[in-house]
Parts: sequence; structure tokens; C-alpha cells
Amino acid sequence: MTGFLNTSVTRPDAAGKVTGQRAYPGDLVRPGMLHLKVVFAERPHARIRAIDTAAAMAHPGVVAVLTAEDVPSNGFGLIVPDQPVLCGEVVRCVGDRVALVAAETPDAAEAAARLVVIDYEDLPVISDPHAALQTDAPLLHLGWGTNIISEFAIRKGDTARAFAEADVIVEDEFSTTWQEHAFLQPEAGIAYVDEHERVIIETAGQWLHEDRRQIATMLQLPEERIVVRYAAVGGAFGGREDLSLQHLLALAAWKLRRTVAMNWSREESMIGHPKRHPVTIRSRWAARRDGTITAVEAHAVADGGAYASTSQEVIKVIALFASGTYEVPNITSTIVAAYTNNLPTGAFRGFGAPQAQFAAEIMITKLAHALGIDPLDMRRRNIYREGGTEPTQVTLPPGVSALPVLERCIAEAHTRMGHEPPAAPYLRRGIGIAAGIKNLGYSFGYPEQATAAVELYGDASINRAVVRVGAAEVGQGTHTALRQIAAEVLQVPFERIEMICDDSSAAPNAGSASASRLTLIAGRAVHDAARAALQQWHEEERPACATVQYRPPATTPLDPVTTAGRPNYAYGYASQAVEVEVHLLTGQVQVLRAISVHDVGRVINPQQVTGQIEGGVVQALGYALLEQFQMRDGYVTTPHFSSYLLPTTMDVPEIIPIALEHAEPLGPFGARGFAELPLVPFAPAVAIAVYNAIGVWLTRLPMTPERVLEAIKKQHTA
Amino acid sequence: MRPGKFAYHRAETIDAALELLTNNEDAKVLAGGHSLIPALNLRLAQPEMLIDIGRLENLRGIQANGSLMIGALTTHAQIETSAAVQQYCRALSAAVSKVGDPMVRNRGTIGGNIAHADPASDPPTVLLACDSIIHLQGPDGTRTVPVQDFFLDLFTTDVQPNELVTGIEVPNMSDHKTAYAKLTHPASHYAVVGVCVAVKMDGDTCDHAHVAIGGALPKAMRSPGAEAALAGTTLDDAALNAAAEALMDEIRAEVMGDVYAPEAYRTAMAGVYLKRAIRQALAS
Repeated sequence: MTGFLNTSVTRPDAAGKVTGQRAYPGDLVRPGMLHLKVVFAERPHARIRAIDTAAAMAHPGVVAVLTAEDVPSNGFGLIVPDQPVLCGEVVRCVGDRVALVAAETPDAAEAAARLVVIDYEDLPVISDPHAALQTDAPLLHLGWGTNIISEFAIRKGDTARAFAEADVIVEDEFSTTWQEHAFLQPEAGIAYVDEHERVIIETAGQWLHEDRRQIATMLQLPEERIVVRYAAVGGAFGGREDLSLQHLLALAAWKLRRTVAMNWSREESMIGHPKRHPVTIRSRWAARRDGTITAVEAHAVADGGAYASTSQEVIKVIALFASGTYEVPNITSTIVAAYTNNLPTGAFRGFGAPQAQFAAEIMITKLAHALGIDPLDMRRRNIYREGGTEPTQVTLPPGVSALPVLERCIAEAHTRMGHEPPAAPYLRRGIGIAAGIKNLGYSFGYPEQATAAVELYGDASINRAVVRVGAAEVGQGTHTALRQIAAEVLQVPFERIEMICDDSSAAPNAGSASASRLTLIAGRAVHDAARAALQQWHEEERPACATVQYRPPATTPLDPVTTAGRPNYAYGYASQAVEVEVHLLTGQVQVLRAISVHDVGRVINPQQVTGQIEGGVVQALGYALLEQFQMRDGYVTTPHFSSYLLPTTMDVPEIIPIALEHAEPLGPFGARGFAELPLVPFAPAVAIAVYNAIGVWLTRLPMTPERVLEAIKKQHTA
Repeated sequence: MRPGKFAYHRAETIDAALELLTNNEDAKVLAGGHSLIPALNLRLAQPEMLIDIGRLENLRGIQANGSLMIGALTTHAQIETSAAVQQYCRALSAAVSKVGDPMVRNRGTIGGNIAHADPASDPPTVLLACDSIIHLQGPDGTRTVPVQDFFLDLFTTDVQPNELVTGIEVPNMSDHKTAYAKLTHPASHYAVVGVCVAVKMDGDTCDHAHVAIGGALPKAMRSPGAEAALAGTTLDDAALNAAAEALMDEIRAEVMGDVYAPEAYRTAMAGVYLKRAIRQALAS
């Protein structure tokens, strides 16, 4: 029996999700539960003078109104606990939570939430990170002492000398804006205290054990007293890495000793979780006449919003990928993330790589144009190869497949694109090809591990296998892939393998569903645990059990002086080609077709590979062309999907997904992650295609019709 | 996303509806509900009472007799599929076929649409270009208002608090070439700009042209400048460009902007869609 890989087994969760049998968090709400309603700040910056809950408490059906003084430890955050669970002194963004109403019905909770009277003294609003960095800017977090959340720099070689000696130099400035995850299922969940005095939270998220850690810290309870369980998760994309309402559910359940429920509206969801960072990047690239890139300089500023979330890590990724997928001997890359009174920014599929490489891919193209070299040849000449050196002066982890991925993309584009002319004189077509790189797993010394346990039951043969691995199924299909990996190692039919993944007390910590890491790292842990259990089985242990913690090669922080260090243990590589049609009169850009080539190392499940690529391309298309989350003076001006535009079927092009199999040395059966990669080269590929269509560079995301038309007009008057 | 509390009355006759309207200051008339219900849910409107006129069947239907008489409760879908409307005024067929989505067109009514006076709505622009007449009824009887005097401002019309829109009278435009061109907002399907033209040709020459624009301004407007630029020409590129320039000049000071289409972009699109409407009309 072999062949559990490279096969599209039916997802075990598919039938339940399609028929409505499978419960999402919102489906867990039952009669008799208390209903919670958050009182949001709805103003960007103010001091709280007083909170009067009397009228709300007097409303029929209201059981409690919780405020800051009810929170045992009133701060949370993935890295820095700088975000109040409930604000008591100051609100710093419209999404801040100030009070939590618990009532017998949703109507009573909602009505009472309107009756909570908060006396605010408005404070000056900082809505721009550059303004936040001015020396006279008011401090948003007094105790922190500065509006800088974090800053980061990479220096390699001698940039000044390289620019002085360069044959050609190009420079430009890029800006990107917020992106909203817009997962289908808004935040929801229930919580209660069980007979063992444990707080049980059933909700959605991306990392059981990190949710547990933060909730335990907030309640000042040992982690064993907190149990986080995930129901079916309706999409995440990084937007469920931070706590949104899980801790509020836990707080209310613990305080009130009742089962509590909360089910957010889309409007609450929109202000209730962080967004992708808006970033401005000033770039300067230098090359020799023969097309060798000699220097890259990039200075970036990121809007971190009101709280730190993962800004500190996102900006490292941006700085690292300032030079894209290219080996450059001299690099100066700096970035600062600033606090503002905008919504917090944090994790979103790609985690900084899309912003950085939007700039990098356009810069290498402009450099090629300036030299009169084919931009694809320019890429071939400079792209990372096995044994190449990173911006942080270490050798790239083995398994560098950037060039074959690019070559395949170029070949496919040649075959499939550019063969039909546009249908009208006011339409122009263009093709754009871009490369991309993204770290797989955690970076820069952040502790990285995944643990899995495998139990084998039976007598002569294995009748049943149990795999325990705390890896979040957020819709991406990880439980299916991990089960296929176990089946392949054990040579036990897929159906005989039980997966226990959704309970922090029953499954070991496999880390987050993020950084394209689960197939690689959790998959490797499952692989190794299955192998170890099988070894026990062969030694006649019944049942045969093994728990394995897999730790990849260590990464390190950078040396503070030399900025040398080991940023990552593995990378994913992708290249994408897009063909666009630009309407010269309206500025509308239609993507006609998209080729997305990925090195996935080893295909576990072809259908899920295709699904990941297609979904990623559509999300990337939104990022490139449509999705313009906007805030003005700290207020969201795109609070609904009527104003925040997402791609629809009308926008989705023909997508050609291609998976290559250059083994990742660390991965199970050579598999490597790729889930974020479709987001990385797409936007610059569109920008390059638009340039090739109309001869104008779009350097701001998204490339809205208005901006495209403005660029066309500027070109005509120039 | 739930409305506040309100009383609900279903009117069985026009007189009963008018009586309820007269006796309840803070009442809103419910027809198809496709503007009112979302406004209630968002609490942009919080009336004390809804008067449902949806069963007043004598306000529903289309009669073609010299001109078109369209009952206020006639749905967009009924207008879209009416052979008489297609014959009398193609632009109206085209415009209602672009309202919202099939669900909106199946429930939304023309009377409710114009009484709501959303600046980004499609039908008002066509009615304006076609010199239509609005029929109203109040406690003291009926009256008519030329559409030019009907729309007063953003969401504001000449309908008095105790009046109902009963019908819309559209002249027979079959001797004109009419068209409606619309830049549709990708999510809401409202008009970012919508331009209606009605041109009367005398051989190859344009005898006169009516041009109206919606979506860009607080209310739909006629464009005297564009109309003057087109009259007497052969509607060649120069005339179209001149008309587009005139239209853009007229709206520039008052044009509205949003995240999707800021002021300058909307202004430019008004010119583009005017030219598109004229070319469509000529091709019809």
C-alpha cells in the first residue's frame, strides 16, 4: 500500500461544511446563554473621564456591565501586551473596547450597550505615521516613551561606495494601503467554566496555545485552567492571529460563571481585528552596465496603528525583502513602525513581503529599462541561487529554487499570453512577470517548533491511528494534508486515522496557522512522530505511542553592530505572470489571465494546492487593484463591503496554477509551504503589465481606475 | 443592523393611505422597500410608522396612450420587460435594466425610487432627459409636477408630507434616439455616473439633444451646455468632445466624490459616458 501523497482525497470536513452540519463559532450559540455586546470607543483618541453604567445595568435582562476594573491583568498582545482588554483611561482607536454588556438576550445586550455613558475628553488625533514620528508629536503610549513601535535595519557591504561606482541608478517611492482580511465568518464564540474550574473558550483562531497563553495571562490563571477549542474556522489570513473577542468571552464567563456567547456583525469585525500595514518605501537601486545589481537602498515607514500587534516582526520581513529575490552585495534597508490612532496593523498573508516586493520588482524592472536590458534577463542574472548570500550575510538555506520557478513562469507566459490583440482602439494589453520570495516559518530567533503525538492501536496490524497536533484548520486544508502525511508514513488507510487538532488540552502545540508553515513544520512533526510510533509498533508496543517535537535549524536575531545573522530556516519561491487590459478612457484594469508558479516541494494534495493558489491569486488581485481600506482622521471611511471593494467573479481571470516539486530538505517528503506566495509577486506583476500596456508606472496600491487614469493624463501632458 | 421600533399599517385604498399620512407626521411610505428597509436597518431613518402601499394594485401597471403612464408601484422589472416602454423610450428600458440586481428590480418600484431621490439612482436621469411629468395625490386632490421641478436636492423632492406619488408620465420619445450609459459602482451597483441622451436627428444633423446626468451631483441635472454643443452638429467627434467639455465644466463645482470615485475622476467619467451614450443612441 502506497500513494497517499499527490492525491486529492476528499476533505473530511467538506460534506459537513457544505450541508451546514459542521458548526462554525456562530452556530454554537444556544438558548439560555448570556449574550455579550462590546461598547466600542468609536472615536480615535480620547481620555475617559468617567463611565456610567447605571442606565445600562437598569435595562431589563442585563446581568452585568464589565469595564476595565473587572479585568485582572488589563493588557494583551502577541508580542507586547500594550492593548487594553477594556480601556479605562484612554482610547487610541475607533476599535478600542471600553465596556462589555452581558444580558439574557441579544436585543437587551444591544440596547443596554447604547445606554453606557462614557464621558470623553477628545485628544489630538495622529492619523499618519510620518506625523507620529515628528519630535513634537503627542505620545500615544506615555509609558513607552516614543511613538516608535519598533525600528529595524539591515546593512551589508558598502552601499555609499556602490552607488558612487554604479553605472546606472534608479530611484522611486512606493506606497501601499491597509488591506482587510474579509474572511467569510465574522468573529464569534462561546465560553463557560467547567466542573474542573477551567475556562473553556470555543471560538475561531489560528493558534490554540497562543490564545490560551494570552487569556491565562489576562485572567492570571495557570495555562492548564484555560482550554481553547476551535470550531470550524471560516477563513483567517492572519486576521485571527490577534485576540479579538476570545479574551472578552473568557473574561465574562470567568466573572459571571455563566455560559456566554458573542457573535459579531461585519461592522464589528471590520474594526475588531488588525489590518495589513500601509507602508511607504523610498528605494534606490544601482547596477553595473552588464546588469549586475550592485546596491539597494530602501527606507520604509509603516503605520502600526494604535497597538503593537506583530508590527515588530512584520517590519523585519519588509526590511529583509527590500532587495526581493535577488542577491545584492551592498544593502541598506531601514524601516520604522509608528503608533498612530488608526486601527492596529498586524499579520496578513504575506506578512510584509507583498509591500516590500511591490517596490523591489518594479525597481529591478526600471533598472533593466535604464540599462536597455530585458527585465527577465536582469532577473535571471541576479536571482538567488543555491549557496547565495542573504542580505544578512549568511548563506541561503538549501533548496533554492527561485530560478527554475521563474524560468517555468516565463515559458508558460510565452505559450499562453499575448496572442490576441485588444478589441477596441481605447484598450491596451500588457504582460507582466514578477518573482517572489517568502520565509516559511518564524524568523529572526523567534522560538520555532511543532509538536505532534501519534498513537497506534491494533494487534497484528494497525486498526486505528490517532494523530494529535494543535494545528488550526482555517479552511486551508491542513488537517487533510497532515492526515495524508501520517497515512503515507504509517501506510494505514486515510479513514483509519483520527485527527485531534482543535483542543488546546488534547493536542500538543504545533504553532500558528501562519507564515506558510504548517505543512512544513507541523507536517514534519507528524511525519517524525508517525515514524517513531511505527518504530515502537515494530518493537511490539501496543498501543504504540510517540510524541515528537520538531525544531528546525535555529534562526537568530541580527547582530546589533554588523546586522549579520540567520533570519530564516526555509524559503518559498514563486513567479507569476499576468496579462492585463487597460481601458484608456476609464483607467479600468482587467486581469485577463494569471499564471502562478510555485515550488511546493512535494504535492501532498493537488486539489488543495490548486485551491490555495487560486484563492491567493484572487486575494492578490484585490490587493493590487480594488481593496482600498481607508481611514480619515482615525475614522474608517470604508466600513462596509459596499465601499471596501473585494474581487467578485466578474474580476477573476483565468488562473493557471502550476506546482513544481524541488524538495525542501526539511519538509515531510520534501514538502514546503507556499500559502502566502500568491500574494507576493502579483501586485508588481500587474504594475509591470500596466506599464507594458500604457507606458506609465503605478507606484501606489491599489491601482484604482482613478489612479490609472490620472497617470495616463500626466503622461499625456508630460 | 436592525431597525428601531415602528408601527406598521397596510393601506387598502389610496384615500386610506393619504389619511394615515395626514394624521401621522412621522410616517414613511413603504412601497418596494429597497431603499427604505436598508435605511431603517442602518438607522438612517427611524420613522414611528410605516404605511405599506404595496397592495394598491391600481397604482401598478403601464399604459401607452400617446404617452406612457407608469403607475408608481410598477417594478423596475416590469418596466424593463415592457414592450411599450421599449417602443416609447429605449433609454428608460436600458436604465431600469441596470438598477441594482435582479432582486432589487423585482421588488423595487419606480415611484419609490423617485420619491427616495437617491442622487446615484438611474431612473431620475432618464425621466429628466425625457421631460417627464410626475403625478401626485394629496388630501386635496391630484396635481402634476414637471420632473425638472420635482427633484430639489439630495434625497429631497417636491412631494409634500401628506402626498403620494401615483404615477410617472413619460412622453413618446420614439422620434428621438435615446440611450443611457452608466458607470456602475462595482459593489453597490449605483451609478458612479449615469448619462441619458435623447437626440432628435434631422437627416445627419442633430436638431436638438437632451442631456441629463445622474450619480455625480446631489440630484440629477440637465446639461444646457452639452445640449447647446450638440444641437446643429452632425454629432461628430468634435461635437462630442465639445459637449463632454461643457458637461464637465458644468458639474465640476458641484460634483461629489467618494473613495471609489473622487471628484476629478467622476468629472472625467461624466465626459466619457456622455460620449458613450450618444454613440449608443446613434447606433440604436
